[in-house]
Amino acid sequence: MCRDRTGEGGTGTAVSEETTYDAIVVGSGITGGWAAKELTEKGLKTLVLEAGRPIVPEQDYVEHVPTWEMKFRGLGDRRRLQEDQPIQSTCYACDEWSSKFFVSDKDHPYTTEPGKPYRWIRGRQVGGRSIMWGRQSYRWSDLDFEANLRDGIAVDWPIRYADIAPWYDYVEEFAGICGEALGLPQLPDSKFLPPMELNCAEKVVREAIARHFGGERILTIGRAAILTQDHLGRAACHYCGPCERGCITRSYFSSLNATLPAAEKTGRLTLRPFSIVHSLRFDSNMRTIAGVRVIDANSRAAIEFRAKVVFLCASTLESVRILLNSSTTEFPNGLANSSGELGRNVMDHIMSSGAEAVIPGNEDRVELGRRPNGVYVPRFRNVKTKSPDFLRGYGCQGSGYRQGWERGILQTGFGASFKKSISRPGPWRVGLYGFGECLPDRTNYVELDKNTVDAWGIPTLKMHCAWGKNEEAMRKDMQITAAEMLAAAGGRDIEIVMDEDPPGFAIHEMGAARMGRDPKTSVLNAHNRAHDVKNLFITDGGAMASSSCVNPSLTYMALTARACDYAVRQMKRGEL
Amino acid sequence: MDRREALRLLAAGASIPLFPGHLLAALREARAMVSQQSAPRTLNPHQFATVRTMAELILPKTDTPGATDVATAEFIDLMLTEWYDPVERDRFLSGLAAVDTRTQSLFSADFTAASLAQQSEILIELGEKMTEEAQRARDRAFAGNGTLAESPEGFYPMLRRLTLTSYYTSEQGATDELHFQIIPDRHDECAAIEPEKEAPEPR
Repeated sequence: MCRDRTGEGGTGTAVSEETTYDAIVVGSGITGGWAAKELTEKGLKTLVLEAGRPIVPEQDYVEHVPTWEMKFRGLGDRRRLQEDQPIQSTCYACDEWSSKFFVSDKDHPYTTEPGKPYRWIRGRQVGGRSIMWGRQSYRWSDLDFEANLRDGIAVDWPIRYADIAPWYDYVEEFAGICGEALGLPQLPDSKFLPPMELNCAEKVVREAIARHFGGERILTIGRAAILTQDHLGRAACHYCGPCERGCITRSYFSSLNATLPAAEKTGRLTLRPFSIVHSLRFDSNMRTIAGVRVIDANSRAAIEFRAKVVFLCASTLESVRILLNSSTTEFPNGLANSSGELGRNVMDHIMSSGAEAVIPGNEDRVELGRRPNGVYVPRFRNVKTKSPDFLRGYGCQGSGYRQGWERGILQTGFGASFKKSISRPGPWRVGLYGFGECLPDRTNYVELDKNTVDAWGIPTLKMHCAWGKNEEAMRKDMQITAAEMLAAAGGRDIEIVMDEDPPGFAIHEMGAARMGRDPKTSVLNAHNRAHDVKNLFITDGGAMASSSCVNPSLTYMALTARACDYAVRQMKRGEL
Repeated sequence: MDRREALRLLAAGASIPLFPGHLLAALREARAMVSQQSAPRTLNPHQFATVRTMAELILPKTDTPGATDVATAEFIDLMLTEWYDPVERDRFLSGLAAVDTRTQSLFSADFTAASLAQQSEILIELGEKMTEEAQRARDRAFAGNGTLAESPEGFYPMLRRLTLTSYYTSEQGATDELHFQIIPDRHDECAAIEPEKEAPEPR
């Protein structure tokens, strides 16, 4: 699908590409893919610069490779992972099949302030992390967009739900989001494809929650960017299970499966893999980006590309890193950083706190197929009733399943009857885990670490991030409410779970180039355009002024499509 | 060619349930097969035979294949050679040696030479010890606010983990025993199955 133009540009000396593009998009992940689609479809000759390698679905997707064809039967090549991906391999999706979609920690180092661990999980390839993302897709509401103003925290969002609602419609109609309409004010419905089904144990918990929590708490099937019916040339999901290994039927949404092919179809896309953006060159007279400086990952040649408009979609922290690395005398602390907010207010979601229990009953029922989606309990704290312990709230995610053969490891049985018994499904279990909103805080920030460089000599980031009191209080509440809901469903052997995951591990990092009304306190305007640089847009998670508690990718998609529309209108008016 | 054709159709948006049978079979065809192992690299012939015997006792051949049929001892040798660190490997090997020491002291024979009843007695004893150790680890964890994961796994739980993993992730174990399908024929979140007629779940 991509024109591979690697290797051009000679060796070592900086050369300029003669072609000038209408637009350059940095990154080909979930937002870069959308920018590529929107800009090319609106007539712009667009260059997408992707730092990683090309992906060929027919060769690289491995979702149908069974355990017995894997050398370590799915346990992973532990020594190699410990050596090369000690950070990445802490993510569930970075396994024996999919570790190739995650970066090498050796080539891509970062540093942290002592006592403040941070997990940065990254993917560098065409498609970025949209290949192995979690696919959960939820709209924000005005409860979220008004939160900063109401609480007097950070800066007010310059947009409201009404500004983004049509763009949610727009991206959902293309991407395909399955889910159940509930009409909740705190979690607006999407334009849904039919929902996936709850399994038996999940239904038991759903009914018990409805009975015991007076309608304040509701369990619904996860809203996911997975097709439950054929949609725009992509096939319905066939329930093989491990989406993070790829999907040859293109049933879940990713750049590779949906937006990049659409962009390619216009004939206006040039996709250049192995193109690591080093920095942006600023023209202080024109107040624009004059060039995008790239290091070819293979030849290490330095090349400069030019376009009328530049979209940074490299992921929250990578986009910030590029700007921090593009300082000028006017912007000594990073390009487009007259506010001093660039790299600050880094947020994530606080998770891994909840409960699991055995849910008795339905022993004569099993789940056939592997539904690649879980259940969701929309936020109920600080919606109708106020929580005394913390601001904002959290949603719960989880799933029901019958225990498998693994339960036999620590049993003492052996022999024919043992084998027969553990070959049959074990009891039904349900787990529920919170995903909590994280407050924006200036003291959570990243900076350039000039003493540590990546494999291409580019300075890396140093992280200074920690959970605040509000998040810690929320984390405590999650285990209690999860256990309450399972107890209401007759759950037995309830286990409270609380892993003290560091920030970053929800892989929802956002906020480091926030939107706002005032150029003195924000980096981007209400259309994701940099206040300081006329032709620069950032449409990845960096733009977020607060974090909500829902998975953010759908909102990034909508903001990207909206920003592209704005940019093209500005160009047509000659303002860019 | 069939596999290529199958992939082409899928990429073009064909629906799996409507897929021609021979193409579906081609899609499931094995690829990138793991190279066949030659001789064991960590376990000596006696250790290898002991591991194989113990694994077969845990998951014997019945109307379905057993641990030996799916090359469990070979998998364990691979894991000891290329996966575990030296400390874990040595813990496994010394636990394995202790099995012979115990069998010798009780029955004056190596484990592999003992009778089936004697071998079973040894496994029962190892199981009891495993349960006690797990209990002690739990007590320690709660006393010291540690986590269970911090306790290193002993020989017998390691052996059981490797045996069960090897079996249920093998082609025969997964398909014959668990009825695993890479591409499921259908999905049903609450499908009825034959009720279990045998004795309840052992502890």
